[in-house]
Amino acid sequence: MNAVVIDVGKRHIREINDDIQAACKTGQEIVVRNTLSRHNLGIGLPPGARISFEGSVGYYCAGLNDGATVTVERDAGWGLAEGMASGHVTVGGYAGMSVGAAMMGGTIHVKGDAGPRCGVTMKGGNIIVEGKIGYQSGFMAHAGKIIALGGAGAACADALWQGEVWIAGEVESLGVDVVVVEPTAEEVAEVDAILDPLGLVDSSRNWRKMISGQRLWYFESRDANAWLMI
Amino acid sequence: MCGIAGRILNSPGKVGADLVELMDAQEHRGADSTGFAIYGPPRDSGYVLRCTGFDKQRLSRDLEEFHAVLREHGADYLEDPKILTDDSAHYCVRMVISDPRDLGRWIADADLISDHFEVQSCGRSLEIIKDIGGSSAVADKHGVRDMIGTHGLGHARLATESSVLPNASHPFWARPFPDVAIVHNGQITDYYTWRAKLERRGYRFLTQNDSELIAVWVSDQIKNGLTMDQALKKSITSIDGVFTYMIARENVIGFAKDRFAMKPLVVVERDGELAAATEEQAVRRVVPDESDVINYDGPGQTRIWQTTNRRMVA
Repeated sequence: MNAVVIDVGKRHIREINDDIQAACKTGQEIVVRNTLSRHNLGIGLPPGARISFEGSVGYYCAGLNDGATVTVERDAGWGLAEGMASGHVTVGGYAGMSVGAAMMGGTIHVKGDAGPRCGVTMKGGNIIVEGKIGYQSGFMAHAGKIIALGGAGAACADALWQGEVWIAGEVESLGVDVVVVEPTAEEVAEVDAILDPLGLVDSSRNWRKMISGQRLWYFESRDANAWLMI
Repeated sequence: MCGIAGRILNSPGKVGADLVELMDAQEHRGADSTGFAIYGPPRDSGYVLRCTGFDKQRLSRDLEEFHAVLREHGADYLEDPKILTDDSAHYCVRMVISDPRDLGRWIADADLISDHFEVQSCGRSLEIIKDIGGSSAVADKHGVRDMIGTHGLGHARLATESSVLPNASHPFWARPFPDVAIVHNGQITDYYTWRAKLERRGYRFLTQNDSELIAVWVSDQIKNGLTMDQALKKSITSIDGVFTYMIARENVIGFAKDRFAMKPLVVVERDGELAAATEEQAVRRVVPDESDVINYDGPGQTRIWQTTNRRMVA
C-alpha cells in the first residue's frame, strides 16, 4: 500500500502540519521522515488517520489527537499526546516528561520508560508503559489508568484524584495521599483487557493498585498535616 | 524559560560555531540576550579578560581608570585591548593581561568602577561573550563562530527575575575564581538569603541575577574542600528553587538539576565528545544523524564530563 511521505527538515512547523492534515484527508497512511526531533509534529490529527514518525520527535507530538493512530519509532520529547481526546499513540523507545498530560481519552503505549509526571492531570484514557514511569507519575490524575510494567520512580501517584495507577515491579516511593489497595479479580481482568490487544498480558504479575486517600479532596483543618506534606 | 547548552570536543576545534548552532536552535526559549563561554587553548601565564563598558562616550576614560588599577597590582596589558563598538550605548573589550600580584585583590579594586565598566570574565582560557539579541546576531557581532576551543557553554535568556542588560545575561563568571562559568535555566527562590551569606564571606555580586549566585556558591564549596561532584550534589539540597545549571571549569563541565525535575537537559555523548542542550532538536543540529540521547529528566541529578587533549593542535 502506498504511503504519503512527508519530509520535515528545517521547514516551518505550520507548513509541515498543513501537509500532514492534507495527507490525512487522502485516507492514506502517512510516513513522516527526517524529523530532527522537531516540536509540535502532528497536532490535532483527525479520526481514522494513520501516521508514523521515523526516528525521534520533540515536544507535544500528537497533542490534541482526535482519533488518529500514531507511531513514533524511537523517543518522544515532553508532553506527548497532551490533551488527546481519542486515538492510539505508540512510542518505540522513551517518552519524556508529562506524557499524556491532561489527556481525555484514547491509549498511549510506551515500549520503553516514561519520564517524570507521566499522565499528569489526565482526565481519561489509558497510558501503558512497558518500562518504568518517572518521578511523580500520575500527579493529580483526575480519571483514567496509568499502567506501568517496569516499576515507578519516587513520589508515585502523588496527589492522585480519581485516576488509578497500576504498577508491576519496584516502586521507589509513594507520593502524598496515595493508598495502595489489593485489586479484585474483576479489576485485574479489566486491566488485562486493556493489555490484551498489546500482547502484554501476564497472569504472574504482582499488581499494586494505587488510588487516592481522598484526604486532599476537601480541606479539613483537623487534617492540615496532609496539606503540609505537599 | 531559558535555553542552555554545553559542548566538549576531543581536541581544540570550532566549539564557538557549534555553540552558536545549539543556541540558534533554542532561540525561541529566550531571545532577550545570548551568551557563550568558550575555553580556548589555555595560557601558561596571564589572563584573558572580556569586559563591557556601559557608555561608549566614556571609553577612553574607562580604560585609563582600568589600566591604572591594573598597574597598581603589578600587571599590565600583554596585547593591545581590542575594542568593539556598534550602535548600542555599551561597548566590549577583550584584553590579555599579565598576572596581577593577587587576583582576588585586583578584581576587588577593578570592581570599584563596575558601575560603568565591568570585567565579565577572567581566565587562562575562559572567554565569556554575551550581548543583547539572538544567537546569530551576537555571533556575527563578536565573531563567535571562529572561536577555537575544547569546550564551552551557551545560553539564551528569557529574563524573568532581573533586567535585560548585556552584563545581566549569561554565562556568568564565578567572580573571583578564574576560568569558572555557569549557565542556568530556572529560578532560585532563596536568592537573597544566599546572597547575603556569600557577601558576608567577601564575595561581590554585580547583578541581581540569581544565576551569578550559583556559580559563586559552587566555587566557594570547592574552595572549602568539596570535590566538584560533592558541591553539585550539595547544591540540590542547599539551594531552593527550580534549576538545571551547567558549570564549566578549566577541564570539566558538570550539571545539577533540582529536586522537582522541572527543567530539561538532553545529552549526546559520542567518542568522548559531548553535546548537551535543553532541547533534543538543538543537539541534533551538531549531531545530525540519529544517535542515542540521554534524557536527564529525573529529579536531583548531577553529572560531570571531563575534557581531554586541551593542548593538542587543532
